[in-house]
Amino acid sequence: MKLFWRIVDLIVGGIFVYAGAIKALDPVQFANDIDNYKTMPWFISVRLAFYLPWLEIFCGLALIFRFLYRGGLSILTALIAVFIGATIAAKIRGLDITCGCFGHASQHWSFPQHLAVDLVILTGLLVLSFKVASGNRPQNAV
Amino acid sequence: MKLRAVREGLLLVALACLPAIGEGIYFRDKISWQSSIPASELITADQARSWGDGAIWVDARPDEEFARDHVPGAFSLNEDHWNELLPQFLPNWSPEKKVVVYCSAESCNAARDVAKRLRDEAQLKNVFVLQGGWEEWVKKNR
Repeated sequence: MKLFWRIVDLIVGGIFVYAGAIKALDPVQFANDIDNYKTMPWFISVRLAFYLPWLEIFCGLALIFRFLYRGGLSILTALIAVFIGATIAAKIRGLDITCGCFGHASQHWSFPQHLAVDLVILTGLLVLSFKVASGNRPQNAV
Repeated sequence: MKLRAVREGLLLVALACLPAIGEGIYFRDKISWQSSIPASELITADQARSWGDGAIWVDARPDEEFARDHVPGAFSLNEDHWNELLPQFLPNWSPEKKVVVYCSAESCNAARDVAKRLRDEAQLKNVFVLQGGWEEWVKKNR
């Protein structure tokens, strides 16, 4: 069972490290992707575009290496929840946007595809959070 | 346990600042920090008008808005019908002319996106975005 949870850590953490790295490589494009949501002015979008990818990478690494595990888990859960909310809000407002969550790889995903992937990731994070809260793991987390 | 998660989360938030600041410094001259369109690519309605026949106007708004009203002589070129509209526009372009792209208002992104595609895909030079868009043009000309 321990191995199973370790694999879940690696998959979820790996997804965020990958997603963060892609965006960190092209912050200008990510700034445009954030701007497309039309929820904040450009000067905030562009600063977030430089910051959020690194936050994702560090939190993903926290899950992979079980270092600052609980903090990483909490932040990633909050990030994905906010992102799901923003995606749904954008859809309701009729904005036809690319999420930018996985760089160009996700450029042509449909809204249901975005939502499905995000919900799967959120479920993984919530399950890990539940396991931590119930005291089952991680025993060696810092 | 919650306190621990908060403490770890704050540490991750702070850690992520370091590479973000570094990347921001690296990109400081490669990105526009105050507007999604670099100042060198923006043009005011007065400047564009002063170009007279030396300017080609491109309307990046949806077809129905273009049909309702548009800048006299403007070509419709939006991303919804890019493949059909681009071949109609290109024969009217010549290297000595300046292209002025506009969308509905200051807050729309269509003009920025069309201008980018004209530069990247059609390899056009001297492509500018009208500051304030159609709204501003109407204020100045009607």
